[in-house]
Amino acid sequence: MIAATIEIGDVGGALAAEVKTRSGASPMSCYQCSKCSSGCPVAFRADLKPHELVRMVQMDQREVVLASRFIWECTSCQTCITRCPQKVDIAAMNDALRAMSRAAGKVAPETTVPVFNDVFLSSVRSRGRVYELGLMAAYKLRTGRLLEDADKAPMMLSKSKLPPLGPRVRGRAQRQGMFRRAAEGGDK
Amino acid sequence: MSYLFFPGCSLDGTAKDFRRSTLAVAAKLGLELPELRDWICCGSTAAHSTDPLLADALPAKSLSAAGGNTVAVACAACYSRLKTANHHIAGDAVLRARVARVVGADYDGGTPVLHLLEILCRDIGRARIAQTIIRPLVGLRVVCYYGCLLARPPEITNFDDAENPTLMDQLMETAGATPLDWPNKTECCGAAFSITEASIVLELTNQILSMAQAAGADCIATACPLCQLNLDMRQRDIERKFGRRYNLPVFYFTQLLGLAMGCSSSELSLASLVVEPQGLLESKGIGR
Repeated sequence: MIAATIEIGDVGGALAAEVKTRSGASPMSCYQCSKCSSGCPVAFRADLKPHELVRMVQMDQREVVLASRFIWECTSCQTCITRCPQKVDIAAMNDALRAMSRAAGKVAPETTVPVFNDVFLSSVRSRGRVYELGLMAAYKLRTGRLLEDADKAPMMLSKSKLPPLGPRVRGRAQRQGMFRRAAEGGDK
Repeated sequence: MSYLFFPGCSLDGTAKDFRRSTLAVAAKLGLELPELRDWICCGSTAAHSTDPLLADALPAKSLSAAGGNTVAVACAACYSRLKTANHHIAGDAVLRARVARVVGADYDGGTPVLHLLEILCRDIGRARIAQTIIRPLVGLRVVCYYGCLLARPPEITNFDDAENPTLMDQLMETAGATPLDWPNKTECCGAAFSITEASIVLELTNQILSMAQAAGADCIATACPLCQLNLDMRQRDIERKFGRRYNLPVFYFTQLLGLAMGCSSSELSLASLVVEPQGLLESKGIGR
């Protein structure tokens, strides 16, 4: 049996309120049991462990939170939300914080995840699907990481894991419209 | 029995062997999997960590074209994104209207989405599958690795026990193999960090492989393209970084099931595996 969660309403600062509006997650409900950090696969290397990040959100520490490396190292594995006794959706909270971090120009300098996300979505927008070989090439060019994992592409080609030609689904103009309307919030 | 198949991007590329082995197993069972027409990418982590509305709109676009038919998914990440979008859209009328404006058509979030493991275990059933097993995998000790996104969060996927799923174990048992109890069934492999921060993946896959070895496994069975690729392809890098050599073949569960049903190595694309399984299969009297 799962005990009822405690809803905490009119407390917390502007950051907690913005996170809740954007993600639906309720950071103010956290009582710091740190079960999330116990199960988090990347807590061992985090600058802020999940329960610490939530505490920083509660304390309205916008600068620290938006500049943290952890929000970019979260693997979205959903272990935290699955186990949280208060159902604080830290994975969804991190999604919102990533967008806020980019908008504020605070992205941790070590991460290349935003570049990866951009080249990934650009493939989806133009082709409808991900073209893996093109995605890897574009990511390497954008980040200058040309030699990293240089042994992988020949091996994957020899194992027929990377078709040289990319997919293409019809309806490109329609998809571009979808991406544009989503960026505008879907209000019109 | 027929479902609309949503293969997902990986099954056209890095996980072509997952597609081939899925279709080979389906053919043995008389399971029809016509492809959902003009499906588009689910958006994966890139979409939900960039724009939550886009992350719901991309699956909605594909699912609204299913005409009410049940959609079958092989990739755990696609499964998670399609079910999450359904959950969001069906539970929030305001969001549903916003998604409708983005997609250009209303979608109620009601297209049923099932993973292959659910279809095989629950809709087809182990009794029917057992009738197709002609070459049981006797003596093959396998650990089933589910990864993150099939079972979590349970409120959305409603797949199986979130901490100790057993659907794949049941199938492996039906195939004549010996599924082993182990604690890393749903630990994260690091997923797409294989490209952006490989050190995360090396650390996490090393722990998973180490536990699989400690449990006494001959091989690992997976149900997700990223899990399979990370556990299989990264074994050489792990050896370089941590000095540990596992040489553990990492199969898709459909490849092992297909072997037990008498499919050939080429029908199951076993040559695409990086850690070659031929030695293991021959030692167990399974390989051809």
